[in-house]
Amino acid sequence: MARAPDLSFTEPARLSISPLPAMANKDDTETYILLLLSDSNLPTGSFVASAGLESHVKHGFASLSASPVQATVDFVRDSLGSYAKSALPFVSDAHRTVERFASCLEQEDGGEGFLQDTLDKLTELDELYQVMTLNHVARRASVAQGVALLTLYSRGFSRPPTLSAFSAKESRADESQMSRLLNQFKLKVRREEVPGHLPICWGVLTAALGLKLERAQYLYLFLHARGLLSAAVRLNDLGPYGAQQILLHAVRPLVAAETERCKILRTGLLQGSDDGFDDTLSGPANTWPLGEILAGRHDLQHSRIFNS
Amino acid sequence: MQWQSPPLTKLYSGGGSISVSLHGEKAVFSELASTYPLKLLAPYIHDKTALVYLLSYGGGLVGGDEVDLNVNVQRGARLLILSQGTTKVFKTRIGRRQASVHAKGLASGLPSSQHDTTASLTQQTIAFRIAPDSLLLLLPEPVTCFRDASYHQRQTFHVEGNGSLVILDWITSGRISRGEEWVFSRYHSTNEVFHDGKRVAKDIMLLENQELGPHIPERPLRERLKPYSCYAMVIFYGPQTRPILTDLASRYDQITIFKEKTPAQLIWSLSPIEAEDQGAVVRVAGLETEIVKNWLKDSLSHLEEAVGRDLYRRAFV
Repeated sequence: MARAPDLSFTEPARLSISPLPAMANKDDTETYILLLLSDSNLPTGSFVASAGLESHVKHGFASLSASPVQATVDFVRDSLGSYAKSALPFVSDAHRTVERFASCLEQEDGGEGFLQDTLDKLTELDELYQVMTLNHVARRASVAQGVALLTLYSRGFSRPPTLSAFSAKESRADESQMSRLLNQFKLKVRREEVPGHLPICWGVLTAALGLKLERAQYLYLFLHARGLLSAAVRLNDLGPYGAQQILLHAVRPLVAAETERCKILRTGLLQGSDDGFDDTLSGPANTWPLGEILAGRHDLQHSRIFNS
Repeated sequence: MQWQSPPLTKLYSGGGSISVSLHGEKAVFSELASTYPLKLLAPYIHDKTALVYLLSYGGGLVGGDEVDLNVNVQRGARLLILSQGTTKVFKTRIGRRQASVHAKGLASGLPSSQHDTTASLTQQTIAFRIAPDSLLLLLPEPVTCFRDASYHQRQTFHVEGNGSLVILDWITSGRISRGEEWVFSRYHSTNEVFHDGKRVAKDIMLLENQELGPHIPERPLRERLKPYSCYAMVIFYGPQTRPILTDLASRYDQITIFKEKTPAQLIWSLSPIEAEDQGAVVRVAGLETEIVKNWLKDSLSHLEEAVGRDLYRRAFV
């Protein structure tokens, strides 16, 4: 087999997987990252979040569907539709912001000012998401999961010195700059200077790992839907096999369609006013007021197993 | 974001301007102007409170209509804005109303509904400024979008200092008597609140019937919103809303949900706006508009203390 190309020049800055022959191309690297990120054992907080499903069932709304399975599918669909429309623009803009930081590191002009500028943009996105999430239960769940992702990066994805021999020398400096960015953002979250919402942190994490935007968007919606299904299993609305069937047959087309529909949406913060950005067509929006009310009423349940 | 005072010069069609100030112990309309199809009716003063009815010409808006209003509540004054009957948004139609002279780019490029490929948007834009010590109460009747209607509303509120506001924004499913149940093509409503220039809340609600793809079964808006036919949102902000919020919070905390068999006639949620703990958002849904209206009338009754019983009785009639 021919010698693998040195990836450190084509895609450094983010976590650069060393050029093993079997991992020789970018696509394989991304696939590997996808496999890691879709592990349901990652401490991303989805064990404790049902995004309103528990409240929905408890309030008797499942009775409006023909069967428990249908009720779950309907909930996943409505929840996913609204979440894609309201959160994905923030994933996209946070990802773009960090991707731009990464590409500037490659060109070796990533000075201190640029790191600060990137932090400022992320802060602005996070604050906008905070004031647009007008449901305290959703806000609580979102920041809990957001900070879990930042911790996941610093403790689970950053490269410890003991493993530095596995990296290409040239990429180490860029990698450490990226770590600095994420650490500083995490510090701001810890100091409560920014909320650290899930969609922003997801965009940051996936860009830092070198995952392409479209894959990050797709995986984000998939994880939301899968989280709902595992919540349904824990709530005993579904069996694990039934949940798997829904994941394969219903969630797959839904996630694909919602990604397609919402991947171009933006928050509007990164555009200038003369870019012709029309927020009524391309901006975030909430599309399910019923879901908002039920999610907001979560804490009114006499007994509950999730925290959202 | 900097507030710019409304231009006193020429108003476009659908344009309008309201300014209320306090002279001694009495409110006065220092400005009150509107042009077709917008009408500002029955201005009335009671002590420090000014009341005005906002309505579109003939009680309804048709495709292509645009309303653009500036509202200024000056220091110490109170303004109550009501509407007469629901704001009816008729079916979008080809072309624009003759009186609507300034075309904006917004209408183009909209996803066209399956029934009407030349959908033109009906839109209402209102900018409010609420000065220190003043109070804005925006308590209109709900918006009713008829079959295939496309409506866009944008309201921006600039609260200064200890100014306060109560904003009600609500929608019904259509003309039930004609079997219309969430069959308009698009409803987009934005409410954005700034406090001393800082954004503290931004709510964007988008309701539309949209198909996802060939192998995905249809799920019309009606299914997503059932069993309710009326959805309301109220934003409270500022110190003068404190008594209502304290009251609502204690009522909310008393609710306990065990395991319901079927959905209740009315449900509501209460979430604080976290910025400086100055406000809250309440959402309500009900089987019928009347149920929601009665709930609102009862829940907001503390406002009587601010504007007097006579004025409050004119809301939620």
